[in-house]
Amino acid sequence: MSRSGAEGGPAGAARAERPAPGAYEDEVARIGRELAAAMPSAARHPLRALDARAMRATAQDRELRAALFRLVDVTPACRSLEDLARHLNEYLAAVDEAPPSLATAMRMAHTKAGRRALGAAASVAIRHMAHRFIIAESPREALGTLAGLWRRGMASSLDLLGEATVTEAEADRYAERCAGALEDLAQAAERWPSRPRLEADSAGPLPRVNLSIKVSALTPRIHPEAPELGREDAARRVRPLLRRARELGAHAHFDSESLDTLETTLELAKELLAEDEFRAGPSAGMVLQAYLRDSPAMLEELLGWARAHEREVPLTVRLVKGAYWDHEVAEARQEGWPAPVFERKADCDRNFEALTRRLLDERPLVRPAIASHNLRSIAHAIAYDRALGGDGRDLELQVLRGLGDELAEALAARGHRVRAYCPVGDLVAGMAYLVRRLLENTSNESFLGEQQRGVPLEELLAAP
Amino acid sequence: MTPPAGFTNEPTLELRRAAAREALREALAELDRRLPLSVPVIVGGDRGADSGIESTDPGRPDRLVASAGRAGEPEAAAAVEAATRGARDWGARAASERAAILERAAAILRERRHALAALEVRECAKPWAEADADVCEAIDYLRYYGRRAIELERGAPVEQVPGERNAMRYVPRGVCAVIAPWNFPLAIPAGMASGALAAGNAVVLKPAEQSPACALALAEALHEAGVPPDALALLPGYGDAGAALVRDPRVHVIAFTGSSAVGLEIVRASAETPEAQHHVKRVVAEMGGKNCVIVDADADLDEAVPAIVHSAFGYAGQKCSAAARVICHEALADALLERLVGAAAVLRVGQAERFGTDVPPLIERDAQERVERYAAAAREAGELAFAGGEVPGEGWFCPPRIAIRQPPDAPVLREEVFGPLLTVEAAPTIEEACERVEALPFALTGGLFSRSPATVERVAARLPVGNLYVNRGITGAKVGRQPFGGNKRSGVGSKAGGPDYLLQFVEPRVVCENTMRHGLVVE
Repeated sequence: MSRSGAEGGPAGAARAERPAPGAYEDEVARIGRELAAAMPSAARHPLRALDARAMRATAQDRELRAALFRLVDVTPACRSLEDLARHLNEYLAAVDEAPPSLATAMRMAHTKAGRRALGAAASVAIRHMAHRFIIAESPREALGTLAGLWRRGMASSLDLLGEATVTEAEADRYAERCAGALEDLAQAAERWPSRPRLEADSAGPLPRVNLSIKVSALTPRIHPEAPELGREDAARRVRPLLRRARELGAHAHFDSESLDTLETTLELAKELLAEDEFRAGPSAGMVLQAYLRDSPAMLEELLGWARAHEREVPLTVRLVKGAYWDHEVAEARQEGWPAPVFERKADCDRNFEALTRRLLDERPLVRPAIASHNLRSIAHAIAYDRALGGDGRDLELQVLRGLGDELAEALAARGHRVRAYCPVGDLVAGMAYLVRRLLENTSNESFLGEQQRGVPLEELLAAP
Repeated sequence: MTPPAGFTNEPTLELRRAAAREALREALAELDRRLPLSVPVIVGGDRGADSGIESTDPGRPDRLVASAGRAGEPEAAAAVEAATRGARDWGARAASERAAILERAAAILRERRHALAALEVRECAKPWAEADADVCEAIDYLRYYGRRAIELERGAPVEQVPGERNAMRYVPRGVCAVIAPWNFPLAIPAGMASGALAAGNAVVLKPAEQSPACALALAEALHEAGVPPDALALLPGYGDAGAALVRDPRVHVIAFTGSSAVGLEIVRASAETPEAQHHVKRVVAEMGGKNCVIVDADADLDEAVPAIVHSAFGYAGQKCSAAARVICHEALADALLERLVGAAAVLRVGQAERFGTDVPPLIERDAQERVERYAAAAREAGELAFAGGEVPGEGWFCPPRIAIRQPPDAPVLREEVFGPLLTVEAAPTIEEACERVEALPFALTGGLFSRSPATVERVAARLPVGNLYVNRGITGAKVGRQPFGGNKRSGVGSKAGGPDYLLQFVEPRVVCENTMRHGLVVE
């Protein structure tokens, strides 16, 4: 069944030389320190520093954090600045010990003029915050940013944000937006300068255009208990996208969302990519969420699938921590199910590293893309690649625009292949995404939260 | 006897996992091999007639699910006589003993959960997820009320002063007639019966004629667990059996869930107190609703639309808690309607046994005809913004429909349809929306979508509904978490699955003892 099986072949050879865990621990720490030193300091980005301060203040106060999330969440639904101010005031009323600045804000809300001024200030602040994570309102408006990233040595994956898809018309519109994005990007990317590290690995060329596809946006018929319904409905919208991606030489990446849609997504990707017409392309990928307890088994299944279906371009597997932790835990608690995710950060981090090693071991069957803002996880991937004799050519690192910008710069400067995940969409469409990012950024548990709290580098780089 | 541990809800099956679905498919195949089932009249442990009522599959009416006995007045009288005997022994037992037996019955249901869910799929056309949730709810009631009964047995705290000892305690009322519906074919009979049993009463269970096999499964579990034969009788039958129980002067409590018409008739009939009847009957009635969802201008439609669609059309709208009427702030009304119509259009109408079915067939032909009548009247009086599509030819199917532009006095805005028909209207303000809800005779469930804490507070304080759900669907109350029951013409009695439910099945007694002897306080 398998070419890259037990004996012979590059993968077999690599397996024989697999370094013992811990043998490259010193290397992880060294790489981590180098990357940290190479990160542009926040001082050089005054706005960033301001954001960081605000985030820190928010992270320290649960009530304030809740007020901020609720405000961000409601902003697109507010019909006027006054309306926005009214909501802000109501959310702040729930904050027990409001800092002096908030008390001022709440006093402003007593008059109509004050409310308008307060609404304007809040609106500007939220738009500023949104712009940090969402690069533009449309793919066309994003082209400048994407070209700039490319010139500075960073590839991108475009993600089209959207409201929830509950109707056929919404699914059709999202598919049209995807198709339009492919065209716009392909046209623009032709004019980008050559960047060899971003354009090829040992397995062959890497597309410049990379589009993330959200299956839940491409069908209103997702039923967690009947994955075939959503799969069949989404398939008729995804097939034309894959065809166009192949023609344009673009990469199509199936994004993963919550567990309720996961089987639909993975089964759809496997079904379509196994079809004859897609055997030769496009380049495509799937996502593995390391916070899922089942993720090691899922990876084995994915590897088995990749072995069984010899597509001409290796499957890219993007390894992420997973962005729906709160949702998965709350849903499990409400239903009385065991949590499908690791509930301790260290368990999740350890699993992330184990999956990283497994993915790197399985090259060239798959192309691993390690997506994290955790310096330790990134340094671990680089160190393990080196321990296997790699030079970084067959390792992709990914970050989220707005959260991992400094890390991406540092990685690019040191010659790593790094790709930024770039969401695009208007404020209404982007709100759910924005709230998730803010949650991640202000969570005490997250690596970024620890980094902002000033946890020493040695601790941040220690094995989980 | 060790007291039972704290209460948590029975976990539903994780149907997003293929293995859980496979187990249910197997259970259904196994059930199909045993059809038709036989449901006898059971009085004092004796199994009587099992013919007279045919329970059929609503999705394939030529499939006989069960042949059940048809109890009439003589069977009802015999059952009450046995229950009168049974109540003495059962009521004398310690609450902890009764709770342990209910806990065992819960364990039996849990062990059979796949088969029971399959039975609900066949007998009542409950889609899998809802059938499984119903089994869980039945288990929850048995365990929850057992625990509450133990607490109730401790009595209520009263003031004490030197020289007297005061105690307030609760004792069982006696015989409870339980008249149950088919739409939650295990959970609702289990809730009413276990509430009465936990509090120490004997029960005569008269299930709906549409779901006798589900009721038998419940009665068998209770008997196997140790509820004595005389303390629980099963009377499959029609309305005449229920009416006979309501009239019987030896019955103390009537627990009923069903239509308003029948509920109000029970309230009226049970008020008759012939001289030989030495007590006033207590009626616990859970009746209809016309449940409204208010959508404010700042609502998140991404959440509101799926929640409303599920609340209105899940199980074809055959829940007393189902959403029937959406009242939306006019600023958002067009956008909401467009998305509701689009979301209704992708609902899956089909057989309950297929995973992913949203709208199964209605329970019977009468129901189908009733919904069609309301739909025709709504089309006549206004407009159907969505009128469903093709439905399977076999089975009592009705497509989902959304009616708009209805005159304020339209029956479809005021009466319970109990089917997949939703109305949508705009209101200039949330206050106006609240007024429309207040003007209804019913007050069961209600919904509000708003992201303004002040609006949530204001509406919650104002609406008379028994259960208000904010920023979520309005069905699916959980035992112990959302005690359930309506106000106004939607119900009399306290909340099912709530801390005070058992009070309806007991009578309070106060004992004051003088502890002074010759001027000395002897305590």
